[in-house]
Amino acid sequence: MRLMHTSLPEFKLKIQGAVLKGSPNKKLKIKGLESLKSAKMQSLRTGRIEKAVEEVSMDKESSKVEVIVMPRVPETMHTVIVKGYDKEENPTKAILEVINIIHPTEQVELDGFDNIDDRRPSIGKH
Amino acid sequence: MKKLKIRLMEKGTGVKQGVPINMAFVDLKDIKAIDITEEEAANIIAEYLDSPVAINIFNMDAITTTSDGIVVESAITTMAAGDKGKIHPEFGILNMEAMEVTEDLITEEPHLKQIEAYNFEDNILFRGPNPAKKLIPVHNVVMTGAAINNNSATEVMNAVTMEEMLLPYLGQKQIMEDGDILLGVTGQEISVGIGMTVAEKFGRVFPTRQFKAGETAHGSGDYAKTLKENIPIIVAPKDVLAKYIIRALEAGMIPGKDIGCSPAVLNVAHSLGTKIDLDNINDSAWEELNSIGIKKEDLEKPSPQMTKEEIIETIEEIIPGVSKPKRVDSKDVVKKISININ
Repeated sequence: MRLMHTSLPEFKLKIQGAVLKGSPNKKLKIKGLESLKSAKMQSLRTGRIEKAVEEVSMDKESSKVEVIVMPRVPETMHTVIVKGYDKEENPTKAILEVINIIHPTEQVELDGFDNIDDRRPSIGKH
Repeated sequence: MKKLKIRLMEKGTGVKQGVPINMAFVDLKDIKAIDITEEEAANIIAEYLDSPVAINIFNMDAITTTSDGIVVESAITTMAAGDKGKIHPEFGILNMEAMEVTEDLITEEPHLKQIEAYNFEDNILFRGPNPAKKLIPVHNVVMTGAAINNNSATEVMNAVTMEEMLLPYLGQKQIMEDGDILLGVTGQEISVGIGMTVAEKFGRVFPTRQFKAGETAHGSGDYAKTLKENIPIIVAPKDVLAKYIIRALEAGMIPGKDIGCSPAVLNVAHSLGTKIDLDNINDSAWEELNSIGIKKEDLEKPSPQMTKEEIIETIEEIIPGVSKPKRVDSKDVVKKISININ
């Protein structure tokens, strides 16, 4: 189980299902996965996140659950692919470049929260 | 009760939107005086300000280099970024590496000959961090929340508003010494000049000796002058910069060979009449220099052989760069405060 991965659509369904365990009326917003069209999500953590979503959703005071996915390491390196096509949509030329992106850390998402349970392992552990 | 002394430059100080987060400048002596660690000091400052802040800790008895390879007194030994009252435990603080200055190092980095020339052999050299000791894979950067302190504490950003300010080392040195500083906007000459680096192991921006004197780190031709053209900046006044450049030139440093070929260095060297290695400056660097009006043929003309005093008197005409400049006493824009420690 530890080595398995969950598909992106299944991940989203699992999160939705976990919210509904709290109540069918509770709302869910997932942010940070918008640009991903396909991905395999770590199964062990998918399960733990399901549990966390369920726990927050079961809280009577929570009427909405937000799940935010952001880079753990706040500077990420990306490949940039610049592609050209002709009028018939045939490939003409492609250039590969790289760009490093600096992101805010999690503190910007935690304004106003006093009850924070940090369950992340240290960097390098799963 | 213990008190931690800091110099605080509040968010908004400077030209345009100014510094995008608070800046805390701290003397290592003031940390040691109350027997706490640098990390404890950074956390105390973050908790006290409870808002985005960059924290730079200085050893005023150490030495460092500017991006173009001028050796100067004092150095930043630790940089941190704080927000929401905390320093991020993994990414919020980083130490610079103390460098052992050996003959081999000087052979690889000839600008370090200045150390012997200035009798700085007993002063510890710091530039950037050791890449093996940091978690962020690319830049020499620390961050917590919205606060970003980058390029070994010479560039600060707010990751949410996306505003940025450049703080080259000499301007920060002026602040630590209660001197005058120049507030302004970078302009095209600084945009080009900051790319004219020297090769350094554990450098402020690059961890390896990626770009040598005479080369450009930008390598982007005509575009280099616009890369960092419209960013608020705090620098040392040009007469102060000129004094450090002249000292390096008088120590035998050759622009384009030993030290970088930034517009400021080239123009001061030509005015003084010291040697410039024009042929060692590569085509990419010339392309960028040409784009801001610095031409090889002009530098090949006979030097006006100005004296140091004449250069300082006319420095505004000699060193280009910084638009909307405003010279101020740093004590008027940087508050000295003491934080009570429980």
